[in-house]
Amino acid sequence: MDSSILILTLASIVLASTPLIIAVCGEILTERSGIVNLSLDGSMLMAAMAGFVVAFETDSIWFGFLAGAAIGAFFAFIVAFGSIRLRQSQFAIGFVLTLLGDDLSAFLGQNYTRIPGPIVTHYPIPILKDIPIIGPIFFNQDAVVYFAYILVAVTWFWLFRTQPGLRMRSAGDRPEAGFARGVGINYQRYLYALIGGALVGIAGASYSLNIKIGWSEGITRGLGWIALAIVIFGGWSPIRGMFGALLFGATKALATYLQRTFPEVSVVAFNAIPWVLMIVVLLLVGSDFTERLITIAPKSLQRPLQRLLRISPPQALGSTFVED
Amino acid sequence: MQEFFANHPKIWRAFDILLPFLATLAALGVGAVMLMAFDANPVVAYGALLEGAFGSTNALADTLVKATPLLLVALGICIAFRGGVINIGGEGQLILGALGATFVGLSFPDMPGYVVIPLALIFGFISGGAWGAIPGFLKAYFNVNEILSTIMMNAIAVQGMNYLLREPMIDPVQLEAASRIPQTARLNAAFDLPRLVPTRLHLGTALAIVAAFLVFIFLWRTVVGYRIRAVGLNANASRYAGINVPRHIVLSMLLSGAFCGLAGAIQIYGLHHRMFTDGSATGFTGSAGFNGIVVALFGQLHPLGAIPASFLFGALIVGANKLQRVMQVPSSFIIALNGLVVVFVVSADYWRRRLARRREAEAVGELLESSEAEVPT
Repeated sequence: MDSSILILTLASIVLASTPLIIAVCGEILTERSGIVNLSLDGSMLMAAMAGFVVAFETDSIWFGFLAGAAIGAFFAFIVAFGSIRLRQSQFAIGFVLTLLGDDLSAFLGQNYTRIPGPIVTHYPIPILKDIPIIGPIFFNQDAVVYFAYILVAVTWFWLFRTQPGLRMRSAGDRPEAGFARGVGINYQRYLYALIGGALVGIAGASYSLNIKIGWSEGITRGLGWIALAIVIFGGWSPIRGMFGALLFGATKALATYLQRTFPEVSVVAFNAIPWVLMIVVLLLVGSDFTERLITIAPKSLQRPLQRLLRISPPQALGSTFVED
Repeated sequence: MQEFFANHPKIWRAFDILLPFLATLAALGVGAVMLMAFDANPVVAYGALLEGAFGSTNALADTLVKATPLLLVALGICIAFRGGVINIGGEGQLILGALGATFVGLSFPDMPGYVVIPLALIFGFISGGAWGAIPGFLKAYFNVNEILSTIMMNAIAVQGMNYLLREPMIDPVQLEAASRIPQTARLNAAFDLPRLVPTRLHLGTALAIVAAFLVFIFLWRTVVGYRIRAVGLNANASRYAGINVPRHIVLSMLLSGAFCGLAGAIQIYGLHHRMFTDGSATGFTGSAGFNGIVVALFGQLHPLGAIPASFLFGALIVGANKLQRVMQVPSSFIIALNGLVVVFVVSADYWRRRLARRREAEAVGELLESSEAEVPT
């Protein structure tokens, strides 16, 4: 493979991974505060549809993203309200919303399928884009991609280096302790469910405005589930989540490449690869298999490896907290 | 209202049972407003829905036929959820069950029906169970999140189905005609489940109802079923009580997948008589693997509750199709209506539980007051 083609391929992987990165950051925020928003797949579809339709009607990208964010936040709000106020299972509500979002987006967007609309403009960053190799891959992109980088950095900083981030993590990890220290647990959960949901919505809208430009039924189907898996793979950390998303994008690109190279192998084998891979990844990070691998490594490497590979879900994830 | 119920416990109990249905009516009421927004007359529309679902012998049979896979999937979901495992893989397990059952039918085309049908149903049961046991095993022994792994297994099952129906299992007629529609040959007509001619109602419906009672007996009247429920209620306590928790997690997922697989097998032998795909999961399953979850939740995760719940949802689906044809409202209205029913029933359940708690608290309060009065001062 020619080096320029390789760089182009890598750049396209980065571009294609951005919605996943944004969605993963959003879901990490939500889950770190203790709520599982399982409706990702449905709300991304709804946001992709709403984002495109609004952007098409108003001829403004900004309104499109705004609409996507609103839809995502609305879905997340239903999950949060159902779990906090109505004390229903978050999984059940999220799942029903997934189905609803899928079907509702197909219907509401039926008059807007396969028509050209506004798209996010390409915006190479001056100076940075001229760095060899890295420049064309990471900085010859558009604003949404840069937004994703900044989002990862900000999310990480917010989570692990600020007071509000600590309060929010207390809601997800030790709600009783946080409450005793004066943290409004359910307020935190509503807040981050809304912020996270809005980000998921932006991710959905970025799909129809930036990646697969335009709307057609079910265009992001499956992506929400992948994002949920990457959150776990990323150990609820935005930086690892970003690498997970890029890795997933790379395997998809690799599958497409292999498919062209080996046309005699049935196409479904390549379609199934990412899913099988996700199961294997979940298997690796979830079990004590990795722990055992670490003990093989030299002593000096063990601690940093442990830091790198350790997975600890928020302790109170998915449980309800009663303030009294 | 509180006092009224406190004085009339019988009415209260009847109200408890009727509540899901009242909630359904309320959801239909909201649906009526939506219909008016579409400029449709709600009375005419719901008339069409009722007629479509119950209006004739054929309509009623169609409702039952639609309800059958929903009931079987819901039974599987009941077992998994009661065991504390969230099985979202009904679609994949249903597909595997259907593939397994079809494979049996295609392999023994000349055997008598009374041999092939039971064999096929059992094989479908086993294939679905095996597909469900994989995520169960991964959860029990490797701590892999089952919601995600079952979703992934669904996607893999769809790809596997597409491959099998396009290549090895494709109808030879399709190969000769070069049209290559991805479907198998029609199974020998001797393998069709007995049918209540002239309707489409088949024996599978009766089998599903029998299965519901069997699952009830299994979960509430056997030791293994008790253990599965114990693990679902409190895995730690169960471990201290000497129950092998991982094994029962695998078992509940295996049985859950098996009933979903049986649903697929019965769809093949009772209704379609061949396996086909449109490339996605819903083409064959009609989303029964997902709707079954909703049915199970509606039936309060009780196998016997799933019977009326599946009937109601079958009626909603069949009737709503008629409504849509007659009134020319968008098909998503039907989906929205389903969603409304679910939301209303779930919140009504919450409301009922809160009232019950308050009632208990009051009863305890009265008891305390009367006992205090007896204390000599």
